[in-house]
Amino acid sequence: MKLNHSRRSMLFAALGLGTTAILPGRLLAQGRSLVAATFPGTWSEAHRAILAPAFKQRTGATVTQSILLAQDQVARLTAAKGGKPPFDVAIFDEPQVPDAIKAGVLAPYPAAQSPNYADLLPGFQDQWGPTISMQVIGIGYNPRRIKTPPTSWDELWDPKYKGRVGLTALNSQLGIAFLAELNRLRGGGPGNFDPAFKAIRELMPNVGAVAADLGAFATLWQQEQIDIAPYNFNFVQTLKSKGVPVELAIPATGAAGWKTSMHVVAGAVEPDLAVQYVDTHLDPAVQAAMLKSPYDVIPTNRKVALEGPVTQAIARTQEELGKIRGFDWPAINPQRSDLIARFNRDIQQT
Amino acid sequence: MRIPENRLALPLAALFAVCFVAPLLVLLALSLQAGSEAQGLSLSRISFAHYRDFFADGFNDRILAQTLLLGFKVTAVCLLFGFPVAWIAARARGGWQSTLVLLIVLPILTSVVVRTFSWIVILGRHGIVNQLLQWLGLTGDPVNLLFTETGVVIVLAQVQMPLMVLPIMTVLSKLDPNLLDASRALGAGPWRTLRQVVVPLAAPGILAGCILTYAASVTAFVTQTLIGGARLVYMPLRIYQEAMGANNWPYAAAISIVFMIAVLAVIAIAGKIGNLTRSRAHA
Repeated sequence: MKLNHSRRSMLFAALGLGTTAILPGRLLAQGRSLVAATFPGTWSEAHRAILAPAFKQRTGATVTQSILLAQDQVARLTAAKGGKPPFDVAIFDEPQVPDAIKAGVLAPYPAAQSPNYADLLPGFQDQWGPTISMQVIGIGYNPRRIKTPPTSWDELWDPKYKGRVGLTALNSQLGIAFLAELNRLRGGGPGNFDPAFKAIRELMPNVGAVAADLGAFATLWQQEQIDIAPYNFNFVQTLKSKGVPVELAIPATGAAGWKTSMHVVAGAVEPDLAVQYVDTHLDPAVQAAMLKSPYDVIPTNRKVALEGPVTQAIARTQEELGKIRGFDWPAINPQRSDLIARFNRDIQQT
Repeated sequence: MRIPENRLALPLAALFAVCFVAPLLVLLALSLQAGSEAQGLSLSRISFAHYRDFFADGFNDRILAQTLLLGFKVTAVCLLFGFPVAWIAARARGGWQSTLVLLIVLPILTSVVVRTFSWIVILGRHGIVNQLLQWLGLTGDPVNLLFTETGVVIVLAQVQMPLMVLPIMTVLSKLDPNLLDASRALGAGPWRTLRQVVVPLAAPGILAGCILTYAASVTAFVTQTLIGGARLVYMPLRIYQEAMGANNWPYAAAISIVFMIAVLAVIAIAGKIGNLTRSRAHA
């Protein structure tokens, strides 16, 4: 019996050796492990539940999550430059990408090794790494207190919402995106933020609270401290799934948002696995699974049919997704410090 | 073989040098770099520009002043409420004393984030305080307590209270009760005894409590930002905004250094005043 057993393992071992010769890449990945960055919250859950198993099935390799905000990722990669990077795959929101490229911590994305890359709309393809999802801002509102969904940003200025409007400080992506969108609508541009700040000052009598960060902002909704405020599609979905009364309305002036992208890190320990990992994220089956609640990750592969809350609020087709207005981050980023200081000054309680 | 006493401190000194002094020097060097690049410190980029920028903007000076003032307010509230508690706890006997000490220490046993969130629930528009006020008919509309400096002071005072009570309690429990009797026998009333006997003898504990409370409350990022929101900007939020929002690390480092020196100066002055009163008491 014992002999039999070991003979069988020998057989399997030999078989294994044989297949190694045929499929080297696949079996070499056995026992190998990738370290991939992910965002806290829903993102890390979606990656653990859907992306990691799909990646394991495809390559045999395991993945370890490193849960970090985008700015922290840039910081850690910058700090580790020249040595071994702390993770192989980075995930960024659009504004961090120029910073990361400038810091020289990304490797160009080898599109030829990534079969799903060609199925992305041209706007979602990039030499530094593909767009894996989008984030869209709109008007968050409490449906218990506001029965008609808002249709315009101007409603925030309506005197009936005195003390019920929320904002976030400009250190958050949401805060700066809202300011930039407001600026565009009021006739400003990246070189001139005066129209936006004038509008913010006029909004202040209505503002009940300005959250210092997005965590505190979620608390404002949970405690029903505010009824109406700029908000992100995915944050609204997360809060809704926890029973918080909040909905997102896209104003008639159109949806605005930014891309979320994945990147292979320069000097990655496992560059090939890193590409496979990013490509798995572009896989139609993976994106379709992530589109479902509670993740609601907006897909970028055009083979994925849009469904669920995304179609109600944001876009019915991939083409419509591609038309969501972006922001001029390379022009905005260098001004962040000044914009934050100016915003702090303008919103002071008087 | 006898080990000289000062050598016993060497392991701690080494730990401090590596984990505290070295990062502080990096912070200082970073704050002296021109521009907003965080990588590669270089001698050719040395400049005081960030310090100049900080002080050139009157708004920043106001934030610094408000933060230092917030510390005074919290320390005053903690002292006002903490001293009697420390007195009662120090005078209590056996079982009572352990119960009181447990109650005093209890807040430190929960995370500051949890404590602050529970205050949001208490002070919010639909919170306990507002429900009580409305039920009593004292107010129709909910009162705004969150996002006001009053709210920040209330919450910080509760969160930091143990830091004030414990050192005072320690010195008060060592106070010889005969001194109080002597003071009374010599004709001093309770207030005079408190002023001229108890407070001078408890001065080291009061000073330690004030310094701990002050340092902890001016730097309490979580409580300040969650309760105060972004309309009440204090120095920790300002540093966070520059480091994380604007990705301008050298400027954030410069603000940190300014803040650290300001807090150290306040503490040094407090220590001087403490020493003066103590030497006067002994004179």
